[in-house]
Parts: sequence; structure tokens; C-alpha cells
Amino acid sequence: MNSQTAPATIRGPSANLGRYFRNRTLVTGIALALFVLLPSFLGGLIYGRDPYELHLGQQLLAPSGEFPLGTDSLGRDVLALVFDGGRATLIVALPAAALAFVVGLLYGLASAIGPAWLDRVLMRTLDTFLALPSLVVLIFFASMITLTNTTLIMLIGFISWASLARLVRNEAIAQRGRDFVLAAEQLGGGRWYVARVHLIRVMAPILAVNGTFLIGDSIFALSALSFLGLGVQPPQASWGSLLDSALDIIALDPWWLLLGPGVMIFAALLASSLIGQGLNARFGARS
Amino acid sequence: MSAALELDRLSVALRRSGRDMSVLDELSLTIAPGEMQALVGESGSGKSIAALSILGLLPRGAKVTGSIRLAGKELVGLSENGLRDMRGRDVGMIFQNPLSALNPSRTIGAQIAEAYTVHHRSAPKAEVAARVHELMTRVRLEPAAERARQYPHEFSGGMRQRAMIAMALANGPKLLIADEPTTGLDPVVAGEVMDLIGELKRAGMAILFVTHDLSVVERHADRIHVLYAGKSAEWGPARTVLAAPRHPYTEALLNSVPRLGAERLRGIQGNLPEPEQRPSGCRFRTRCRLAYEDCAKVPPATTFQDDTALCWLPLDDAARATIQAEEVVAAHPPLAKGQLLTLDHVAVRYERPFGSFAKRAERDQLAEISFSVGRGECMGVVGSSGSGKSTLGRAILQMVQYRGDITLDGVSFTGLRGEARSAARRRIQVVFQDPKESLNPRLTVGQSIGEALRLGGLRDWGAIRERTAELLGSVSLPAAIAEAIPSGISGGQAQRVAIARALAADPEVIVLDEPTASLDVSTQATLLNLLKDLGRAKGLSYILISHDLAVVSYLADRIMVLQDGRAVEFGTSQSVLHSPSTDYTRRLVGAAAHVPAAV
Repeated sequence: MNSQTAPATIRGPSANLGRYFRNRTLVTGIALALFVLLPSFLGGLIYGRDPYELHLGQQLLAPSGEFPLGTDSLGRDVLALVFDGGRATLIVALPAAALAFVVGLLYGLASAIGPAWLDRVLMRTLDTFLALPSLVVLIFFASMITLTNTTLIMLIGFISWASLARLVRNEAIAQRGRDFVLAAEQLGGGRWYVARVHLIRVMAPILAVNGTFLIGDSIFALSALSFLGLGVQPPQASWGSLLDSALDIIALDPWWLLLGPGVMIFAALLASSLIGQGLNARFGARS
Repeated sequence: MSAALELDRLSVALRRSGRDMSVLDELSLTIAPGEMQALVGESGSGKSIAALSILGLLPRGAKVTGSIRLAGKELVGLSENGLRDMRGRDVGMIFQNPLSALNPSRTIGAQIAEAYTVHHRSAPKAEVAARVHELMTRVRLEPAAERARQYPHEFSGGMRQRAMIAMALANGPKLLIADEPTTGLDPVVAGEVMDLIGELKRAGMAILFVTHDLSVVERHADRIHVLYAGKSAEWGPARTVLAAPRHPYTEALLNSVPRLGAERLRGIQGNLPEPEQRPSGCRFRTRCRLAYEDCAKVPPATTFQDDTALCWLPLDDAARATIQAEEVVAAHPPLAKGQLLTLDHVAVRYERPFGSFAKRAERDQLAEISFSVGRGECMGVVGSSGSGKSTLGRAILQMVQYRGDITLDGVSFTGLRGEARSAARRRIQVVFQDPKESLNPRLTVGQSIGEALRLGGLRDWGAIRERTAELLGSVSLPAAIAEAIPSGISGGQAQRVAIARALAADPEVIVLDEPTASLDVSTQATLLNLLKDLGRAKGLSYILISHDLAVVSYLADRIMVLQDGRAVEFGTSQSVLHSPSTDYTRRLVGAAAHVPAAV
């Protein structure tokens, strides 16, 4: 074989430095994600203490050797609650993000590759939808339906897909006119074929980045709902509801009640943002 | 009289994955006032690096050694401030693609004025206005007062390049560096820009003209300096180098340029070696057909009639004659009988996109085109940008709505729907201009070709792999390239892949839309040869769309000349070339006929 494959592009020292920083963004994001995921799914098993056991006479203790994050006003172990609340938050937020992702992707693709009238109908519907304040819609529906994990997943998925749909639609339309797409059509590839094989593949960076952001959005939305008492229902704890219960007795300055869920929500949102940015930079560097 | 520019053993190394990589090796050349020196080489030869190093615009971390003297003043080691003062004042520069160099939101006049005031901060308004007017008149952007108020989008490509030249001249530099300023322009317009640069030269300007295409500089260059893989190959007076090249590389470059009436292009096999993979001794030896053992040692410089070549076996007249005799001149096969593709009064109208408030375009992009193409015939479609030639190609490919009728093998597309239409479309394939755009960047070469086979109904993996290797072989690519992704292969290789993908559909017609316009001349030549051979071997009909009459005449049996969406000339290649009947065609023929036939 006498062909020269893969000529490396010329990189200055600044580009090398930039790559290091981009990698660090991604690596930091992944580390934070593990910091959130591992305790939420494995922490409870390892820690082994029942989060809902009431330690009578030991209410509102500050962190100590026995209760690393103290106890709440009912005498429950806060660390165990943070672990269990994390699991409860994530098993709703992650599927909700996945649902929003799939709906947004299909809606956007249908709009981009369907006939012009369909595009018009779908986009005007989307405009109307986006014009409604999503938190208000969320609260409105949450107050009307029975709140189970399944309905919460549907509800949060339902309010988060729209911005992704618009992004997918615009990007797909831009990519659809590229030469390799035209070549595929000339070879007999139909609309869904082109969408599946070509459009989704070239949009992979955008999808990965915005899909990651969706996870952060879902965690935030669920925590906000739970904080308002409209999310995960008691007695099951979640990060949002833990914050809410801390707020009830804020006058007593129980800082340790805010610490656990606060740090976890913050870490989860930061992780999703950093991973998104890191992916964005990596893909950007490649194409 | 001192030289305007003197490069003495100029070497440049760039930092690449942590190591210094030599990209330019001991380049020495001198340009006198009123002289044009052409710096010629393929992409990656180091020619643009040489130009950038004079301007002090190299990427950070680049190491420059040797000397650059501008009117006697040393530039190597000068501070960034010193370089900035020099740029634009002592040296003017023009580049390829003027549109990206112009600010779309400011008028042309304002941008030319800025080029002047950067170095004349305190110039009074009246002086600046007078200077702008003078510059615009000089580059013939007339009427200057009116043109100065226009924006870049109102200018044609040629006018934008003139505006760039006006900006380059704003401070009366002694040296003009032009890096491929005519690439991407229409041949007629490119000729006008070249004439303008020639005029500047006669007025005393020293010009360094960087290009990959010898035919561009043939009329105006005084001296030619050929670079190969960062090293000088041959330099001397333009007349001598063009008429009797001494270095095999120069000779091959000259024979890569399609000339009107040429039967066979030589081209150069293979690709320019990456800096890491350069052979020892003569760097061209891996692609040279005359290489022998001595070529592994550093070649000596031999000079003959002021023409110097770094070569162990510099060519003489006899050697050149031998090389040329080796070229196989295949006779045209007789045209197969029967019409394959017929266009009947095909017209395309610009469709206003939904939601746009633009005025509805009145004009047809393409008006009432009719012709037939026989099996195995190549139909050339020539015209400048905006002439509707690409639209015609897209109508044939059924990519746009059209009026009139197109029939393939007696079956009209008008009545076809669904599967039948899809199957008929498959029989017409396409090769686009930009090879990198025509391949999905996220698919491997093998996946792209495999896709074409799968859409044709081939399902078995083993069969797909086998057929892919076969198709790659038919476009002279190694089977192993199937694993590569588009960004890892060269433009010429990518274009071969695009041809292989088109062949995968077993087409009868291939629309070639400027298939070589974004390739180096050496690559263009081998690709045109490949297309010629494939067309004959498989009896393919081509619709070859190009702005370059020389390229079209090399392949086409008949030629249609389009202007403003109308066919202004139509006939056999011979008759169109030798007795053009319209003024427009005569200008196209004139623009294409620059390079004299080599001896």
C-alpha cells in the first residue's frame, strides 16, 4: 500500500494547551458525575443504615462520628437520606431526560424531512408550546395528576423536549442540503434512511452535548417540583424534598440538612454542564 | 539597484505533535523591482509558508532561519511591532477567496480607506477620499465614486479581488505577494485579474506570485521557482523553464495542465510525501519515472542557460522527447448507437423559499434546454458561475423541479413515482466538486461505498466487502483505504472514492459537476485520465460540467456553452474550439489557451 493515510494536521502549542483544557473539562465532569452516581446507587448498600429509621431522642443532631451528616427533625440519618433521595431523584430524572431526548429528536427530524406543511404545523405548535412558561405548566399538571414515578417521568419529559426538537430541526435542515446527503438520495435512500444513516450521524456531537444538558435540566426540574411538594411523594425522600424539609425549620439554622442535597444537586448540574461542554469541545476539535 | 526581496537560505520548521517539522528547506530567491517571480508547487510544497514567513504571519512556535531582506532590510528576528509596520506598508498581499477577507457589513470604499489610514493615521479626510478614488480607478473599479459606496455582496468575484488589490496597493508597497489570487475565479475573470497584476509589474512593482498552476503565470511571470516537498526543484527564467524544463517534476507539472486538444494528460502518480515520510536524497524520486540509485543521494545543482535544476538526471531535449513518446494515445472509440438521455425543453425557475419575503425572481435559472446524449458519450457543459450549468446537472439528477421532460432510455421521469422513480434515478449518478463535502465525515470510506451497494439491494456482508475492494481497485485505490475516514485521505483520493461510490450503483450516466475544480493540477490530470478510461471501459455517458474549457475539451465529445441559463453555443468539441460562433465562447477559448504546447 503506497498511500499516505491520516496526515496529522499542524498544531501549534496553543492548540495543544487548549486540548489539555478541554480534556480537563470532560474529565472533571465525569469525575463529578461519578461523585453523584456512585453514592446514589451504591452508597445506601455500603452504608447499610435504614434511611427511614427514626432515632428517637436524637433529632436535629449536628454531624458527628455516629451520624456523619447529622439527623433531621424526625431523627433520621441525613447521609442515608441523601443516598436514598439521590436514587429516587435519578431514577425519575434520567428516564425523563431520555424520553425528552427521543421525543425531541423524532419531532425535529419529522419536521425537517417531512413535507413543508407538516414542518409548518409542527413548528407553529412548538412555538406555542415554548411560549408557555415551563415551570408554571409543570406545576399546573403536577397538581392535577396522581404523582408516581411513571407520571413524573412523563411529565418532566413532556416539558423538556421542545428546545431539542427545534435544534434538531434546524440542524437537520442545514445538513440535508450537503453533497453526501444528495448523493445518498441519488442512490435511492429515502427520507428516513437519510435521517437515520446520515443526519443523525453528523448531528451526533450536537445530540450528545444537548442530551447531556437535558439530564441536568431534568434533575433541576424534578428537584424544583419536589421542593414544592409536587415531585417524589413522601415518605420517599428526594434531594428536592430534603431541601424543602430543611427550609421548614430554617430558623433553627440546621446547615447540615442543606449541605447534602445542596451539594448533590449542584454537583449533578455542574457535571452535566461540564460533560456537555467537554464533549462539545472534543467534537468541535475533530470536525 | 537593490533587489525588492531577497531570500537567502530561508528555512521554516513548524511545531507538530511536539517535534519540529521542516516545511521549507533553504529557499533562496531574489526579486527585482518590476519583476514577477512565480513560486510554484502542489499543496504542501511549502509555497504558502514561504509567503507567510515574509509577512511574519507564521503560526506560533514556527522556527525561521536564514534571511529575508526587504529592500535591503532584514526581517528575520524583527519584533512584532516592526513586522506590523512593514505589513501593508512595504508589502501588499492578496489571497485566494477575497470574500472571506472583506467585511460584509462595510462598504468597499471604507475598507480601502482603512487600509490607507492604518499607516496614515493623521491623514485628512479629503486626502483619504482622493487616495481611495485613485486606487479604485487604478484597479478599474469604475465609476469609482459609485463603486466605493457598494458592499462586498454587490461585487462579483473578480471585482472583489480587484478591491483586495486596491487595498494591497493603498500604501504604495514595493512588493506584492499574491497567493493563488485567481483560484476559484472564472477563467475569463481570472485572465483580467492577471492582466491587472501584469500592469502593476510593468509599473515597477515586484511581485511574488504563489500558485500550483503553471498555466496561470505563463503570460506574466519573468522567473519561475518550483518547490517540491519544501525544497527547491528548479528555478530560472520563465521562458526557459516553460519551454525546456530540466527537472522531471517541472516537466510533469507542465504536462498535467489540460490544454485544448490534448489527447492524454500525464499527471503525477501518488501524493506529496508528508514531512515525516520524505525520502532521502532527491525528494521527488518516489514519484519520478526516471529515478535510479543515485537519486537516493542529495542531488547536485546543474545550470543550463540560467536554468538551475537540483537533479541527478536533468532533462535534455532527447529525454523530453522520449517521455512524451511513451504516452499512449488511445483512439476514440466510435460512439455507440442510440440515445440514452434526452432533455426536451427543460427549464428551471428559481423557487422562493418558504417564509422569505424576497421579491419573486422573474428570471428562469435555466431556459428551455434540449439535447440528447448517446451511450458512452461525454457531453460537456461550460459556463461561468451563475450560468445555470450546475442547475442543469441537478435537473438531470432529478434533484430540482423542472418544466419540460427528461427521458432515460425512452422512459420519461415525468410519469415515474416511488420505487420506479428511485430505480431510474439510481441509473444516473453524480460526482460533486468538493470531494470532502461529498463524503459523510463520520463514515469510513468502506461504509460510504457499502451504503451505495446496500441501497442497490446487496445484503451479504462478504459480497459487499469484496465488491468494495473491487470498486476501489477500479479507481486505483488500495483496498485498505476502506478503513480510512474522509479527513484522513487527500482530496484526490476522496474524489476517487466519490467516483467509486457512483460506480457502485452501476450507473449509465454520471453527472460530473466540476469534478477537478478543487484539486491540484497534478491530481486533476490523473483524475481526468481515470474518468476517460472508466468511461471507455464501461461505456458510461458523462455530463461534464465545468468552467474550464480545457478540462471539458479533454473529455467531451460535444460541448454546450451556457450563458445566463441559455445555450449560446452547441456542437462537437472540435467545432466549438476551432470555430466558436459567439463572442463569449471566444473569450472562454482564449482564457483556456494560455499554456503553449511544451516542446
